[in-house]
Amino acid sequence: MSFTLPDGGSGPSGGPPPGGPPPGGMPGGMPGGPGGMPPGMGGIAPADLVASGGGTPYQTLSGRQRFWRRLRSRPEAMTAAAFLVFLVLVAIFAPQVAPKDPYDQNLRDNLQGPSSQYWLGTDQLGRDVLSRIIYGGRVAIQSMMIATVISAVIGVPIGIAIGFIGGWLDRIVMRILEVLYALPQLVVLIAIIGIMGPGLRNAMIALGLFMSTAYIRLLRGEVLAAREDLYVDSARVIGSPTRKIMFKHVLPNVLPTLLVTMTLLVGAVLLAEAGLSFLGLGAQPPQASWGAMLQESLTYIGRQPFLAVPPGIIIVITIMAVNLVGDAVRDSVGRGMPPAPPRRRRRQAVPEVDAEAILAEAAKELSAFGSARFERAPDTALLAVDGLSVSFPTPQGGVLTILQGSTFHVMPGETLGLVGESGSGKSMTALAVMGLIPSPGQVVAGSVKLNGIELTELSDNDLRKTRGTEIGMIFQDPMSSMNPSMTVGDQIGEALRIHKGYSKKAARERATDLLDLVGVPDPSRRVRAYPHEMSGGMAQRCMIAMALACEPKLLIADEPTTALDVTIQGQVLDLLRRLKDELGMSILFITHDLGVVAEICDRAAVMYAGQVVEQATVNELFTNPQHPYTEGLLRAMPQNTLMGERLRTIPGQVPEPWAWPTGCRYHPRCPYAQDACTSDSIDMQQLIPAHIVRCRRAEELQLEAAQ
Amino acid sequence: MSISSLDQPEPARPPVGDVLLDVEHLTVEFTQKRGETVFDRGRNVIHAVTDVSFDIHQGETLGLVGESGSGKSTTGRAILKLTPVKSGTIRFDGQDLTAMAKRVPLEVRKGIQVVFQDPYSSLNPSMVVADLVGEGLEVHFGLKGAARDERVLSLLESVGLARHYMERYPHEFSGGQRQRIAIARALAVQPQMIVLDEPVSSLDVSTQSQVVNLLEDLQAELGVAYLFVAHDLSVVHHVSHRIAVMYLGRIVEIGPSDRIWGAPAHPYTQMLLDSVPFANPTAQASKREARLAAAVDIDLPSPLNPPSGCPFHTRCPHVMDVCKEVMPGMTDAPGGGQVACHLFGDGSVAVAAPSMRLDADTSSSPAPSGVDTTV
Repeated sequence: MSFTLPDGGSGPSGGPPPGGPPPGGMPGGMPGGPGGMPPGMGGIAPADLVASGGGTPYQTLSGRQRFWRRLRSRPEAMTAAAFLVFLVLVAIFAPQVAPKDPYDQNLRDNLQGPSSQYWLGTDQLGRDVLSRIIYGGRVAIQSMMIATVISAVIGVPIGIAIGFIGGWLDRIVMRILEVLYALPQLVVLIAIIGIMGPGLRNAMIALGLFMSTAYIRLLRGEVLAAREDLYVDSARVIGSPTRKIMFKHVLPNVLPTLLVTMTLLVGAVLLAEAGLSFLGLGAQPPQASWGAMLQESLTYIGRQPFLAVPPGIIIVITIMAVNLVGDAVRDSVGRGMPPAPPRRRRRQAVPEVDAEAILAEAAKELSAFGSARFERAPDTALLAVDGLSVSFPTPQGGVLTILQGSTFHVMPGETLGLVGESGSGKSMTALAVMGLIPSPGQVVAGSVKLNGIELTELSDNDLRKTRGTEIGMIFQDPMSSMNPSMTVGDQIGEALRIHKGYSKKAARERATDLLDLVGVPDPSRRVRAYPHEMSGGMAQRCMIAMALACEPKLLIADEPTTALDVTIQGQVLDLLRRLKDELGMSILFITHDLGVVAEICDRAAVMYAGQVVEQATVNELFTNPQHPYTEGLLRAMPQNTLMGERLRTIPGQVPEPWAWPTGCRYHPRCPYAQDACTSDSIDMQQLIPAHIVRCRRAEELQLEAAQ
Repeated sequence: MSISSLDQPEPARPPVGDVLLDVEHLTVEFTQKRGETVFDRGRNVIHAVTDVSFDIHQGETLGLVGESGSGKSTTGRAILKLTPVKSGTIRFDGQDLTAMAKRVPLEVRKGIQVVFQDPYSSLNPSMVVADLVGEGLEVHFGLKGAARDERVLSLLESVGLARHYMERYPHEFSGGQRQRIAIARALAVQPQMIVLDEPVSSLDVSTQSQVVNLLEDLQAELGVAYLFVAHDLSVVHHVSHRIAVMYLGRIVEIGPSDRIWGAPAHPYTQMLLDSVPFANPTAQASKREARLAAAVDIDLPSPLNPPSGCPFHTRCPHVMDVCKEVMPGMTDAPGGGQVACHLFGDGSVAVAAPSMRLDADTSSSPAPSGVDTTV
């Protein structure tokens, strides 16, 4: 092949910075990690950061090595595992370890508390409780093993099979299960034991059989969902046999749920064993079992309350240990699960590092990025963003600046395009304008002025009010940005009721008018519809209606047409242009598609790796691009390539924030880069009026214009 | 139906061989429960694909274009045997796929592979790259251990991925890199044809170009045929030898890529072309004017209840009375290929044909849009 990707791990700077990536420090920043999005962000993922994975400087480890490494990083789980190992050893060597014979009765010493002779006291027959606990460990481990293994061995394959194959097999098994569930659990167990005869082993086999139904139901549901995933189709097309798809593709992906169920069931086994033993169906007296000991202690609770303590504590600790180990294993298998994201608290730091101090240090450096003379926004600008920088502290005490000195403005009635590839920082810019940067990141330098009001200094409450009334926002995917359980009308009216005090009826009427305004046919009927009842184009129109409800002066549109068909895209863009003119609002339009920029924007700012690199009117930008990145984006448009020619590309990809090169950040991909471009940072310069560019060679380069 | 649109040799294209895939009168329907209660046994029928016929030659790329809901992806899934077929035949390399049971013989599976649109859900998140790419090698060639890994390495190399990615999970990659993994996975079994279901739609422009170039290089090297399903005509035009345009489950136009791009015959193709945004503000402004002048601002009709006659008549700027009643058949389109529209062929009424954007002979360059020369 004539090109290769730069190896994601070792970027142009030759590897990760000393601080490394911020694991968990930048919520949602980890590439595609499930659940990595911080809560409370209302569906706004910093998509620019999320989408561009691949650069995380992982070491090359095999799956197994990673499993052990993850597991070892959990001290509580290792302690719990050590306890379980200890329990097993003690049970195996019970005759050597136990101080007394657990069956040795001594009625004169019955129901004693702890003493030097009987460390944990004696029971009603004067037997040593400690010895019975130790021997009871044998029963406990045996029951857990038998019941868990049997239930899993029976339940897992059946559950996966009926979920995957479905049809009649599924229906028959499910009806049998429903009948079983309709009967009291104990009755079913007694019936099974009645057939097999009493005794601990039989009781546990019966319990295992019964518990397998829990696995069957759970796995069937999980597999039904997983079966729809494209990777299963992909495995079918490859030609993998069904059995292999079930156990190699589907099972590993339902394993986390399976492990949680398994650990929960282990606890249930210990308790069920106690109940069965009490009824004489499990461990037979005088055999010691924790559950039976606990049950018996109840009878004597008035005379010797301590009797319940040892079996109670050992049961609790054992179940806890099993759960801790189970959780850790679940989090470590396969790709693993990311740790839960920290609760979002505005402007509050992660506890381990003094984020305030770190960010203050960063702020000092970044304030140098304040606007140059020619970047100063006119006083009449609606939105003026000046030297805006956003940083995240890393857990190692470093700082990651993902937006550096952004300066741009939007005039009243103007549409400004914010253009760049994934990872360029354009969505983060929008979040920063809205004051919605995910914690622990924050604006460390610069200002955001809306109508002359400094937004970065507003209190949370005022900011929320401004956001609701002055700024509207629409997103890429209307379906996932709307609440599926609320009608469209209620969602449009919500902002009106909160911010403008509309009554329910008035809000509904206004919502109908708004739907009419955005060109939804039959608005009085659609106002009562749910989002899923609409096509993508209609849903996007409803989103726009929602954003317009409070008549904002600024509409932030984050890739609003990327998920739509081209024909619908045209309609939505036409709609936005018409609304802008009718309502006199301004639009900050974020997109990666230069065709869309040409269609709707008046001016555009091109972003690369967290910096604005070029800014001009759209006509100027397309006819006289001055930054090589702009030229690269233009040339990559397929329609700018002649038939039979190869499509032109920009080699490589946008580097991750922790691998941003020194000097001009574009230099590793730039065909015009010189030695000087690699060292010093580059300032914005203005060669012709109203056209600024961050390129050292802008004056001498003759770049290719749009065709 | 055989479509002889390959008469005109196209420059800078690899020679195209015998017919590899032959789809005739393919119809796919889905049923949907109508009622919400158990007593309502009624079912709706979704006409996903209706009477679709086309063929693909060895080493050829056929672009399949249309809006979402046009049935283009369903057609791809039917060919992959992922969706049951109601009627019609799909013949691949001489074998009738539609006659086969659900479990397709391995050697047939080996012939057609797939790359899906969403690189996030099409790669099993709990498998590392070596296992993802190596799966086909194990299934079809029985390769294991070091022999398998060696082959995986050379496949990774051929799609431009570094060797140390072997033990990584899909979530550690960017969208473009994942798509490369998916391509390597498909190539592993040495297929004769790959169904590319919107392979670049979710990628950035420059990444998109990288992946498209990779696909073209692989075709030149290996002679693999592509069914390239997409909604973006500008990409499809670039990679395809021929393009078929689908609307509401039917093919409405099929022909050489240059002709479709330069001189679309069907009003729907014209509409799709006009919708492609061009990275040129001046051209885009005139395109916009043309679009607003012709605007018929209606969503795609529901495939539950397709319109009578020509399915496009509800949105067509050239609609005539006959369109509302009679479904037009396929007739030869000027400049090559075929079109299903009453404006063409024997039954055509004396009405101005949709504006031809360019003469066919200059069609090798992108159309300077807005320059409409009415025929």
